[in-house]
Amino acid sequence: MIKRFLLLSGLLVLVIQGNLQAQIVSEDDEIERQLLASTKQLNQFFSRFNGEEDTKGREFEPEDRQYRNSRLRKRFLSILFDEENAGFSESLFEEFVNKVTSDDQPIFLDLQAKEWFAVVNTTFRYKGRSMPLTLYMQIQEEGLGYEWVIADISFEPYKTLFDKQRGQTKEFLHPMSHELDFMNLRKAMVKDGSPESYTLADFEPDLLTVFLYDVKMGNLTFETVNRLNYHFFSVDGWYFSLNNFNRPGYNTGWLISDLVKINAQQKEDLLKLLYDKK
Amino acid sequence: MNRRYIQLLAIAFIAVFTSTAVMAQNAVDPNREKAIDSLALEKVKDLGKYIKIIGNKSTPYNEATRVMDRAEELFAPGSEMGVSSLAKEEIEYYKVREYFRRLMALNYDKVTIEWYDVHYISDLERQPDGRYVGVVTIYQKFEGTNGDKLAYKDTTKKDITIYVEKKETQIAGRTIEFWDVILGDIRVSETSI
Repeated sequence: MIKRFLLLSGLLVLVIQGNLQAQIVSEDDEIERQLLASTKQLNQFFSRFNGEEDTKGREFEPEDRQYRNSRLRKRFLSILFDEENAGFSESLFEEFVNKVTSDDQPIFLDLQAKEWFAVVNTTFRYKGRSMPLTLYMQIQEEGLGYEWVIADISFEPYKTLFDKQRGQTKEFLHPMSHELDFMNLRKAMVKDGSPESYTLADFEPDLLTVFLYDVKMGNLTFETVNRLNYHFFSVDGWYFSLNNFNRPGYNTGWLISDLVKINAQQKEDLLKLLYDKK
Repeated sequence: MNRRYIQLLAIAFIAVFTSTAVMAQNAVDPNREKAIDSLALEKVKDLGKYIKIIGNKSTPYNEATRVMDRAEELFAPGSEMGVSSLAKEEIEYYKVREYFRRLMALNYDKVTIEWYDVHYISDLERQPDGRYVGVVTIYQKFEGTNGDKLAYKDTTKKDITIYVEKKETQIAGRTIEFWDVILGDIRVSETSI
């Protein structure tokens, strides 16, 4: 109930301000109010989350009493959640909002915030076919500024590429191979064979390196980005994800679509799931 | 250097220039950032005007070509437009010039391009080479008509990269630093509105 009230009051402020200030062609009034309400960039998500701009997207000066104002933040936060498909309870929402806007330890987000990343679903051409490939991207400091970098990838053909057999049935170099100057390597290192069978027991392939190699060799060719979303572990004990909602209405743009309260173990499990790890 | 560019440069000087002695090397002062935002928006508006002229069916070919040249000057070399529609989520990539040519060649009797009075300018973030980068978001309404009939209509969101770089010039033997803005890649996505 409170969440709905906050949302409505947030929207009302947007609409009233839009009515008063927008200088627009009359038939486009409604559209422009919707565009104004939309969280148009991730940058705007951060600014609204932090209470650093007004409802028209104009930045507050740090000395402005509205800057990072807790009441303003609560109002903005109410419109930063996906209202149509949200699968979390109102009490969870309230708990989260109270935590990030608390007077003693408020939490703010920005591009350099800790523990958040982008999941970018792309298409690459591989062996003559267009195939989905997921890139996990992170922001890092470099040189005089910051850059987005690829932290990891997930690609179906790679998943079984280095599946290693274990025990009695696996291929091996017998324990006296040294006496033969390892001449049996000739039979082990062959195309379409299982060279991974001849590695240490704890061998773990670095699939990012394989990906980079394939891109360099021209075996993987970038085609397009299909969609992306962002995952945040920046608020201790919480996880939320952001998706872009391209639809008519006032609750659009970059919005929180998942909100979960998590402990350390759940965080670890969730990260494995998001990174598509076993 | 064309006249428009000189005008923009003049705006940049008036708005953001300062002597080398007092200029911090690595930071964009918040007041200066506002001036840079205005300059960026000015360039984006120029791009909007050029797109309208290029898309206008009554613009003669020679004039459209000349305007394409001018529009291209706003961009960093190699800039691309990444276009997606509601029907097709994959992004198609075009060089800026190719995008303009496709716009000019659209098969409608009349094309109307208008811009909504809504924009959003991101913060400027510093990249590893020391230049600053930001994104200006604007919305465009497009209508293509054949005869009296509306054949196609869409509203697109345009997220426009802006690069901000500190440059130097000599005026009357004095070195003046100024911030220059140049456009980069543009992401064009159709909206559901």
